[in-house]
Amino acid sequence: MAAVRSARRPRRGGAPVARFVLLGFFLIFVLWPLYWMFNTSVKPSDDYLATPPVWFPTEPTLLHYEVALFTYRGLEGLINSLIISLSATALSALLGTTMAYSLARYNTGGQHLSFWVLSQRFLPPIGIVLPVFLIYRQVGLYDTHVGLIVAYTVFTLPVSVWMMFAYFRGMPRSMEEAALVDGCTRWEAFWRVAVPLAAPGIVAAAVFAFIACWTEFFFALLLTSRTAFTLPTVFRAFIGFQGAQYGEAAALAIVSLVPSIALGVLAQRHLVRGLTLGAVRG
Amino acid sequence: MPQTAAITRMTGAGAPPRLSSFANWADRHFKWLLVAPAVLLILALSIYPLLFSLVVSFINYDFQVPGHAFVGLKNFERVVFDPVARWSLLLTALLSGISVAIEFVLGLAVALAMVRSFPGRGVVMSILIVPLFISPVIVGQAWTLLLQRPFGPTNYILGALLGQEVTIGWLTESPWLYISLVVADVWQWTPFMFVILLAGLTSIPPNLYEAAELDGVNAWQAFWAITVPHLAPMMLLALTFRLLDAIRMFDTIFIMTGGGPGTSTYTASYYLYTVGFTQFHLSQATAGSWLFLIFTALVVTLLVRRLLKVETA
Amino acid sequence: MANVRISGLHKRYGAFHAVRGIDLDIPDGEFTVLVGPSGCGKSTLLRTIAGLEEISEGTIEIGGEVVNDLRPRDRDVAMVFQDYALYPHMSVARNIGFGLKARKMPQPEIDRRVDTAARMLGITQLLGRLPRQLSGGQRQRVAIGRAIVRNPRIFLFDEPLSNLDAQLRDEMRGEIKRLHQGISTTMIYVTHDQIEAMTLADRIVLMRDGLIEQQGAPLDLFERPATTFVAGFLGSPKMSFLPGRLESRAGSEGIAFGDQFLPLPNGRMAPRTSGDGSVLLGLRPEHLSRAPAGAPPPGCVRYDALVDLVQPTGSRSYATFRLAGEPVIAELQAHDVSRPGETLPIDVNMNRASVFDAATGKAI
Repeated sequence: MAAVRSARRPRRGGAPVARFVLLGFFLIFVLWPLYWMFNTSVKPSDDYLATPPVWFPTEPTLLHYEVALFTYRGLEGLINSLIISLSATALSALLGTTMAYSLARYNTGGQHLSFWVLSQRFLPPIGIVLPVFLIYRQVGLYDTHVGLIVAYTVFTLPVSVWMMFAYFRGMPRSMEEAALVDGCTRWEAFWRVAVPLAAPGIVAAAVFAFIACWTEFFFALLLTSRTAFTLPTVFRAFIGFQGAQYGEAAALAIVSLVPSIALGVLAQRHLVRGLTLGAVRG
Repeated sequence: MPQTAAITRMTGAGAPPRLSSFANWADRHFKWLLVAPAVLLILALSIYPLLFSLVVSFINYDFQVPGHAFVGLKNFERVVFDPVARWSLLLTALLSGISVAIEFVLGLAVALAMVRSFPGRGVVMSILIVPLFISPVIVGQAWTLLLQRPFGPTNYILGALLGQEVTIGWLTESPWLYISLVVADVWQWTPFMFVILLAGLTSIPPNLYEAAELDGVNAWQAFWAITVPHLAPMMLLALTFRLLDAIRMFDTIFIMTGGGPGTSTYTASYYLYTVGFTQFHLSQATAGSWLFLIFTALVVTLLVRRLLKVETA
Repeated sequence: MANVRISGLHKRYGAFHAVRGIDLDIPDGEFTVLVGPSGCGKSTLLRTIAGLEEISEGTIEIGGEVVNDLRPRDRDVAMVFQDYALYPHMSVARNIGFGLKARKMPQPEIDRRVDTAARMLGITQLLGRLPRQLSGGQRQRVAIGRAIVRNPRIFLFDEPLSNLDAQLRDEMRGEIKRLHQGISTTMIYVTHDQIEAMTLADRIVLMRDGLIEQQGAPLDLFERPATTFVAGFLGSPKMSFLPGRLESRAGSEGIAFGDQFLPLPNGRMAPRTSGDGSVLLGLRPEHLSRAPAGAPPPGCVRYDALVDLVQPTGSRSYATFRLAGEPVIAELQAHDVSRPGETLPIDVNMNRASVFDAATGKAI
């Protein structure tokens, strides 16, 4: 009786059984490709074509990891990815924070400037990357770390600016005003009061900028080749080998997704703000 | 009681040291100095390239051929009259529309299932958001591992479930390869919808549902009368953001189908990429990317402007 | 130590005209309270003095020097904010010393001053804590400490007590008054609370819609309000307003409410109105009292009132009854009135009552 009654009650969720069945299926849907990738990365190549498929590798091996990292230059890609993502993240967080502060506190350029920055987020990358490719070739930035760092900084700036803009808007002004009255210049009020207070927001914005850089493929594909290539571009090597390199591809994928997933899950609290550029407070 | 001394006046500390003329100038123009680096960088790497590409799209730009002749609208004509270009735009619209629609419905369902607390909800939440932090390249790779014949286990599993042999070429046969691309997109981006819609759901005051219950409203009516109207701004936001990203679809196609077979999985981005970077018709590609840019700009102004109105209202 | 002189001050935010022409002289050492309903421009005015808002028109002088173009840091003023605005990432000691550090004062001197200020405010034992570990009243003391270590030319307070509960508010109000008595620096204090204004001020500046409605000593404003707005804003329970007409009956000037007639005492000049003689008679609860035995005292009008509502507060009871059809509140001794429905003889003290022109709202 109680169950029947509660099933009719208006509320936000669905009926309990339906909820858990749905969640169960969805969890399997999310986890299955990840499991299979992991499974592939540790099973010997001989098992690839077995029927039925090998669900649990009985003789796990790390061979694919070794080959992916050293033979296919995965390690180089990993190091490049780290250098480029970290540098671009730092730049993006720094420039994004300063710009966002100006927009939030001084309303610089009115709505136009902030909307202009936001609109950058929605430009199709193909429209930018073609001319950037041509320009980079002319000025010698093609296939350099600096070139990709600068491109990634610009590419992540809208997210950094808008996340920090929303963060500063949510922070009371009075502490900065107290600093101004206490004898600070505007820079000192920003640097010694606003920035320390905004530190959690800056870290969250940086995490999302890092994930965006770390997982980016399109710019890296077109603006780098043999020197500054990043981890995602290494996967090009595995296309078209019809199965022979599946283990390597899977191993490299596992290596690559660990840092971004770890950071992402840690920054979960800020996820909604990150995904909506600060438009929604999570 | 704390010890208090009599209140007396201290000597005045006076005003702080005078600013140097540079510090004075910097303080006066503080707000512009703060935005300058970011604005200059965006100008250099976004606006200047865009203008440059506009120039390129009106000339004949070729690595091999010296001298760039002005060719008027020829490059644009080539794109507009290219049947592959039109197909790729249509496919972009279809793939992104269908993917986003499925992601929306599924994301809403999962959000509704997650809104109330249950044991283990935190762990489930952490698992569900994982796809958001994975490179689309790896998502494509993961689904390739599952789908590609003969290695992938998908046909075997379907065969076992259906009791007959299944030999689908998931990445090579129409319509399966479109379904595969949609599934990969849905896998990666349903969490996006889910997270935003869940944030919207949890912000609806629970007493509205309690009041509805007292009024004898059933769950279905409450969903339409309370949930949907309150969630509407969030839905619009999630759909807009997602749609604008979906129309760029490139990475998974690059890995899963390579645009093929033939040109059957060319999206707009993929088409422009092949024109520019495998055929090296750079001028034609920039002309096409400008057309695509205008197309996106229309979507942006239509959707995002409206969204900002909802947000600020 | 400085006076403040404001002339012709305007502040516009786009189309919104927040301050619409203020002239104000604040002598050195005075405690001035800016009071008014929310949106009257009082906080904006305070912030322009601090330099946190640019002004659209007019001048502000501090100590004889025009400070229009001076940054907040160079004005040598201190401000206590509504939310205290303590720096959450700094200890109490660093919070208090922050302004001195910005002045490049040597650390031993900063420590000495912080210690002195902390002793004055009784917060010595809190110096090592962070603001979030403090109660509301303690935060308020730290915010005041941040101001007194500098001994600025002017103290500015922006609704400093409105985040405190009633009891702490009473206590801190006393502290602030004690502070002013101790250091007698010019203080400008913004509040929307008329009790704070009455108790703290040497002078009240009552604002409305970006203009000064009336200024003067608290009791002057209370007893001789210039407008119905001032009369209604100060005092609790509020003054009651009875619409009537100025008339002359049986040889004496008075106010008629239909067939009821309240004669004005002879001492009061026969007032004139701008219009047709419509006036508002303003009666505060303490202008009415239970009539003693015998004839009414001079200037008082006696009538029998039917009690509508009784609100005892303990020492006093507020009784509502009707006079000329309008509800009027009287402050009576607690035992003078017991329950609604009673009829009481009431004396209306016409000497103290205010009379306003009904058309303009100005006192006459």
